[in-house]
Amino acid sequence: MDAKTQKYDRQLRLWGSSGQEALESAHILLINATAVGCEILKNLVLPGIGHFTVVDQGTVVQSDIGSNFFLDSESLGKSRAERACELLGELNEDVQGHWVAKDIISILAENPRYLAQFSMVIATDVTRQTAEKLGALCWVNGQDATIDNEHNSSPAGKKETMFVWVKTVGLVGTARFAVPEHTIVETHPDNVADLRIDTPFPELVTYAKSFDFNTQDSLEFGHIPYVAILLKYMEEWKQEHGGEIPSTYAEKNQLKANIRAGMRSADDENFDEAIDSVLRSCQPTVVPNDIKDLLKDPKCENLTAESTNFWILARAVRDFVNDQEKSAGLLPLSGTIPDMKAQTNSYVTLQSIYKAKAKRDVQEISKIVDTLLESLGLASGSISHQEIESFCKYSAFLRVIRYRSIEQEYHQPKTTQIASWLSDPDSVFPYYVLLRASDTFYDDHGRYPGEGENWEEDVDPLHTNVTTLLQSWGIDTDAVSKDVTHEICRFGNGAIHNIASFMGGVVSQETIKLITRQYIPLNNTFIFDGARSVSAVFAV
Amino acid sequence: MVDTQSINDSERWAGVYKLLDRTSLIHPEFEPAEQIKEFIKTCKILVIGAGGLGCEILKNLALSGFCDIHVIDMDTIDVSNLNRQFLFRRADVGKPKAVTAAAFINKRVQGTNVTPHYCKIQDKDEDFYQEFAIIICGLDSIEARRWINATLVGMRDEDNPDTLKPLIDGGTEGFKGQARVILPGITSCYECSMDMLSKPTGFPLCTIANTPRLPEHCIEWASVLEWPNKHGERKMDTDDPMDIQWLYETALARAKQYNIQGVTYSLTQGVVKNIIPAIAATNAIIAASCCNEALKLATTCAKYLDNYMMYSGNDSVYTYTFEHQRKEDCPVCSNSATKLEFNGNKTLEDLMDYLKEKPDVQLKKPSFALGGKPLYMQAPKQLEEAMRPNLAKPLRDLFSSGDELTITDSTLPFSMQIEISFA
Repeated sequence: MDAKTQKYDRQLRLWGSSGQEALESAHILLINATAVGCEILKNLVLPGIGHFTVVDQGTVVQSDIGSNFFLDSESLGKSRAERACELLGELNEDVQGHWVAKDIISILAENPRYLAQFSMVIATDVTRQTAEKLGALCWVNGQDATIDNEHNSSPAGKKETMFVWVKTVGLVGTARFAVPEHTIVETHPDNVADLRIDTPFPELVTYAKSFDFNTQDSLEFGHIPYVAILLKYMEEWKQEHGGEIPSTYAEKNQLKANIRAGMRSADDENFDEAIDSVLRSCQPTVVPNDIKDLLKDPKCENLTAESTNFWILARAVRDFVNDQEKSAGLLPLSGTIPDMKAQTNSYVTLQSIYKAKAKRDVQEISKIVDTLLESLGLASGSISHQEIESFCKYSAFLRVIRYRSIEQEYHQPKTTQIASWLSDPDSVFPYYVLLRASDTFYDDHGRYPGEGENWEEDVDPLHTNVTTLLQSWGIDTDAVSKDVTHEICRFGNGAIHNIASFMGGVVSQETIKLITRQYIPLNNTFIFDGARSVSAVFAV
Repeated sequence: MVDTQSINDSERWAGVYKLLDRTSLIHPEFEPAEQIKEFIKTCKILVIGAGGLGCEILKNLALSGFCDIHVIDMDTIDVSNLNRQFLFRRADVGKPKAVTAAAFINKRVQGTNVTPHYCKIQDKDEDFYQEFAIIICGLDSIEARRWINATLVGMRDEDNPDTLKPLIDGGTEGFKGQARVILPGITSCYECSMDMLSKPTGFPLCTIANTPRLPEHCIEWASVLEWPNKHGERKMDTDDPMDIQWLYETALARAKQYNIQGVTYSLTQGVVKNIIPAIAATNAIIAASCCNEALKLATTCAKYLDNYMMYSGNDSVYTYTFEHQRKEDCPVCSNSATKLEFNGNKTLEDLMDYLKEKPDVQLKKPSFALGGKPLYMQAPKQLEEAMRPNLAKPLRDLFSSGDELTITDSTLPFSMQIEISFA
């Protein structure tokens, strides 16, 4: 085992070498070396992100060293960007850190394409104006990745810029992610087994018939794999019921009873396993609805030379599913089976039957992929066999997430949804309203509510902003209690390290999910209330 | 360079001090007072574990303004810790975690004094634990958690409020974790929630020996059956790459023989060391949550967690905060015996096997007694031999339905009373 595998062992068990490669080729931009910003970077530098850049024109002050672990007393008066980059860089010798002691707006004035070099832009302690501007620029880069392809001939290799805006105010933290489109193959579902008990393919039927249910050998009987037991009893059921599988609760129970009647002793755990799987096996094998929708997506229908591998593969799967003769209208088989009580030979045989069928499906889909690539004028083989295999294996669990842009959030508010979120008395959503109102307060006063000594004087003007915002959505003005407004003024835009660290954990975890394209990231706003230790996600 | 004098507490801790200086309409019972700030500086707080969670916890406490922090950990630094235990560097590999972590924090955060204890938690007595206002656990061991939980519950004297030691416990696994606050004897304790743990992963010996199907079965065969065969008395050292290599090769050979795929070095190591995936991000979330509760408990600036928060980050981000209920027959924090129904025709050995696997009991080598009279004892050797025949006897020949057994085990810091009625 090499040194890197040793160092990263505990995380490679989550996202594997492909995830690690994605992390190592990513470049993260942090805007402002705040406590939460440095916590996010800490959790990305440790697992080995390729590069990070800190942009911050400020110098280190007392409140920084009281809340930020990566600015110490020796840093007072020095550049925040430089010191944060230095102390974060110490965490991992394999990571390249960079810093720029400038304001992001002036950097962008000099170079409007500045953000395009980054995989992800993390904005902290920025005004709404700045966030809107950054969000819009990243959004265009993200769309570039899927439509404009002049800088990169490989459709999948195009870099896109994801965006997150993070706020921490006293005991509250929020994070707003914005990515035009995020596609995931490796969603890491708990169970990918697809056993097809209701519609067995010929090899499976032959396999089930190979077991002697009348054997006198109790060891042999007790080791008939439950898949074979289910197949036998399901087949008998179908013969008695005009080819239909059990559909009602009573029918499923009857099938269970039939299986139970075949048991010879209470120790026949294989029969218990079969009975436990009846309900799942009576779910007809079909293409799940969300995958049907995905296969109907215009991006799947209308491939171009700029289409990403994901959509080319989705199209290939669609064509496969539509070819009844090859697929029986089903997705490619995952080829994975769970452990079950069985003799080694019968288990390994069963495993190889599923694997062989999965392999045939992959071969069929590979052929379609080749044809598609050719018709698009792309090199055959430009999508690796491994990628096709993985796509087939997880085809029932694919995900496409299309986020709303920050512009949409501000200019096309989902008022009905917002009203419903606010109607729940335990909701954390009032904090969303309060932080939006605080941004308006900043526009008016040049400071955030409660920052000064006479903090309670800010309660009324802030609550006026809350009321105005609610009215603009057509929502009752008492939907947000003034006590919450008072609480935000109490927080006074203060940075509490624990909240910064909590948010740093969440945002870095989501960043890892987005960059590795594994697991399912949140969509699109996370709110944490540290006073009650509760959180929620809203697609604003 | 700026000297110590120029550090100004009210500017440095501006974020926390706003919470402590200002009243709240959400938490109207909170009364700001200067003593609260003084209390954070002077109270003693104990961190158990200086690993993934521990490093985070130490940082968070220091930056919450706690000055008198103790940390206890018996481990030394391994290279696989470096992807998340950010107070350690490659050059620190092999050094004690507690000592290295304490030195780092003391250097980085001015005014903080972290005292390391490089030892087992069991090496410390009640007088030691009595000194602390709050105890925070960042452990990966169930056994250690049970021990500290039982110790703190045992220390509590209802008539003496100083004996109540809030225990904040965090745990993570991959993208998941949980944080909870335990007020020993008042809220649900660690033992009350043992049934929330999943069954310890183990494979039946007959599967390993006769019908292997998974790569894990081959690895278990190599480590459980073949190792003692080939190495006799020499104990396996799972930290020694040579031993892992041997297990890997042995398991691989068996897998080939049975046509089983998937035995790798990494899987071998994972199975024999029971490795749990761990990343900085999840540790940060859970540790921050624990320390947020510590700050709330110490200052009363907001209500503390009552009493459990679960976190899951595999699919979106989801937290569930709820009050875990006390278990009425908790063997640690209640006075009543745990009740169990068991077939009286089954043997004492059957009962023992059942209790070893039961998630809320999890015994290793239990001894049984009835009203002070031993039924089966693991040690000393002569007594074990003399009582061994009892293991094969049906329970109804040993005692009557409704009798209370006392169970002791080296992994249990307490003796467990179980009332068994024959089903």
